[in-house]
Amino acid sequence: PRKCPLRITNTSTGARAMLRRMKKAVLSRPESSGLKRFISYRLFTHSRFSFKNKMKSKHIQSCLLSIAGRCNKCRSPLRSAEDPGSTKGPNMCGNSKATSESFFTFSHCGAKPCKRLEVGQLIYTCGVQSYFFFLRFLVVLNFLSFLLLGGFVLIPNIVFRSVGTDVGNITGDVLSLLFPHTGDKECMEYNPNPQGLVVFYEFFIHLLSGTGFMEYSYMFYGYYNNTVVQDDNFSYNIPLAYLFTAVFYFAFCLLCIIARSVPLRNLTTFTAESVSNYSMTVFTGWDYGCLGSKATKLKQRNIYYQLQVDLEEERLKKHAASLTLCSKVILYSLRVLMFLVAAGLIGAAIFAIKIATEFSQVEGILGLFYEYLPSIVITSGNFLVPLLCDQIALIEKYPPGATVIMALLRFAVFFLFLSQYSKSASLKLGSPDLRGSVNHMLGCWETRVGQEMYKLTLFDLLVNIALLVLVEFPRRMVVDNWSCKLSKWVGRQEFVVPSNVLGLVYGQTVVWTGALFCPLLPLINTVKFVILFYCKKITLFYNCRPAIRTFRSTTSAFFFLAVLLFGWILALVVMIYSLAVIHPSQACGPFRNLPRMWQTVPNSFYNLSKVTQDFLFFIGSQAFSIPLFALSCVVMCYITALASIYGKSVALLRAQLKLVCYIYVK
Amino acid sequence: MGATGSQLSKESLSEYQVNVHLLLENAHRRFTELQAKADRNIQSHRVPMNTILTLPELKSNPFRKRICRVFSTSEANDGSLSFDDFLDLLSAFSDSATLEIKSHYAFRIFDFDDDGTLDNRDLEKLVNCLTGETDETKLTDDEMKQRKSGILKQHSDIDKDGTVNLSEFQHVISRSPDFVR
Repeated sequence: PRKCPLRITNTSTGARAMLRRMKKAVLSRPESSGLKRFISYRLFTHSRFSFKNKMKSKHIQSCLLSIAGRCNKCRSPLRSAEDPGSTKGPNMCGNSKATSESFFTFSHCGAKPCKRLEVGQLIYTCGVQSYFFFLRFLVVLNFLSFLLLGGFVLIPNIVFRSVGTDVGNITGDVLSLLFPHTGDKECMEYNPNPQGLVVFYEFFIHLLSGTGFMEYSYMFYGYYNNTVVQDDNFSYNIPLAYLFTAVFYFAFCLLCIIARSVPLRNLTTFTAESVSNYSMTVFTGWDYGCLGSKATKLKQRNIYYQLQVDLEEERLKKHAASLTLCSKVILYSLRVLMFLVAAGLIGAAIFAIKIATEFSQVEGILGLFYEYLPSIVITSGNFLVPLLCDQIALIEKYPPGATVIMALLRFAVFFLFLSQYSKSASLKLGSPDLRGSVNHMLGCWETRVGQEMYKLTLFDLLVNIALLVLVEFPRRMVVDNWSCKLSKWVGRQEFVVPSNVLGLVYGQTVVWTGALFCPLLPLINTVKFVILFYCKKITLFYNCRPAIRTFRSTTSAFFFLAVLLFGWILALVVMIYSLAVIHPSQACGPFRNLPRMWQTVPNSFYNLSKVTQDFLFFIGSQAFSIPLFALSCVVMCYITALASIYGKSVALLRAQLKLVCYIYVK
Repeated sequence: MGATGSQLSKESLSEYQVNVHLLLENAHRRFTELQAKADRNIQSHRVPMNTILTLPELKSNPFRKRICRVFSTSEANDGSLSFDDFLDLLSAFSDSATLEIKSHYAFRIFDFDDDGTLDNRDLEKLVNCLTGETDETKLTDDEMKQRKSGILKQHSDIDKDGTVNLSEFQHVISRSPDFVR
């Protein structure tokens, strides 16, 4: 007969309190956010109730609490926790049942077992996990922005098209009256649909390059009407909606990025404040959830590397302090030289893309190949230049932490200028001269730009999948099955977080720049990122060996967003340029009869009532803006003063805390 | 304190009772799996340390021996565990255990020579455990170790006596970024 030490048979106070707690624990398992989850899986998790003399009973209670929580809600996450061991090696926990699983804790366990990132955090480092959280954030962001675009642009267009209203559609005659110098009949013609027989493979070509049946569809700018519906109680101006949705899309993305980076920033400052990084690594570094000797070894190696980095930084600081003037000069000149080399590399890559873009405009036999040439060059540039920059970083001898940041920055500049360049190149080629001589070959240059962005997005995805199937998987097979020196030297591939993140930022920047010309691009990108998520997951679990080097995930997660913001700013510049400077094409799109896209705003502004106009004019006038400016200055001064005072009191409190601790210890 | 003030319904109460019972039974079954057949009926039988270490959760843990020693209440100090000790172990590692419990046990685990303070040798052993003792490449060289313990003390040794005691340890732990919630 078994005997359990504790059975709840009476409802005394203690037992009731315990049950209440248990209910809390069972019913509201902390569905913590991603960041918290990956931070809190260590031994020392937070506490809620205090520790008193009744230690034993509390022990049993908390033990039961944890087990109860697990049994009721999730059995699967722990099973996934065994997985890292089970990929290889005999000594993982084989017959673990419910209890054994809740043996040592992973406090992230309660949340979302389906994501299975928990597996990742056991073997792989926090940096990898922050990559996946970043990816998930981008998926959500893209989907929400698709809802925005779809709700205000796509659905009204579909509705008006099906109802068949062409109210306010200004025809070409009026247009030629408005702009006599563009009165060419030819530039009004825009009918991209192919005539006659179609070869069967054309379909795929069209699908890949966004031409043919794709070109004249809701996918691209050219298909949208310039319908203005005006009724007594309902009016909808599609050009205005199109423009404002694009603007709000950008604003929405900015808000999302800022909202996400604020908690990270707070965390970063907190961590930076508490200096005792070493003690932390040593005291709380061990993850008691490590199962299997392989995971243990990896964890040990991670900790070792972390300690190494810390010590290295310390030593480099000391070394830098003791440098003589001469060696300083040599070091800095070396860095400047290497910076120039890196800049030259980036410049060369951009030049290559320029040539490729020009070449792609030539009609060739291998049409699809030429069409894709810029994308191919861009993607191979993305691949090669970071590799070379890595080598340069070795020479520069920055401290290890700074090396990662430098690499990220350098890649970022490269990626973003690349995408911007290709963008502006296609803009330049596509758009007519401002003098009005229209390039007849390109009936609708906005659609062309949209196609370019579509191709970049699609090609990026294809390259990623191809890399998985053709490079990473064979490499792993070869490395695993052959044991010659070469394959050992090559080894499995490492999952490098910075370059992967920059790939994502690049994709997102392309989408931002293209969204104006291809409103469905956010949707495509959502799908693309979802596919990418699973591709990367597969590579990570099956093809990659865990990185030996780790870097601090809290700061890097913040840095990812900073890079993303940089891309956002570049995309914004392009959007403002295309809204305010370039002449929209005359044959298609919602702005077909306007000299500038922005022109639609003043036009509809003058349709507003007199009172509203006066009010808006007043807001724009100096009488309003100068007091507003002064007021915001005052508010800002106040907040700055407040912040400095808080900072001082924090420092004071910290000093006092130390004193109190000292007395307490004594 | 009967049923009047109870905030739980009868059904959920009985449900929890079943759960608690079930879970305890699971823990007990898990424990009996480690025992030899003949010992299972003995009331306060202790499972020897080596058997406990065959648990997959402990097998590869570098602190496994320390864990057994710390949780063992045996007089012989051989690291053997009774069922009560086993439950203690489970609860200390459960995620709803309090910070005090966790830091208390962590401190004891890290205190290799059981003298109530973490001194230089303890820290050295601790770092060795963390980075893997056996592999020669993983061994930090002496100079590094010196520096490490020096820095450690700089940050966490508040009363400057050259060692880290329990309150200092808890103070350091409480400042860990894991508690920023």
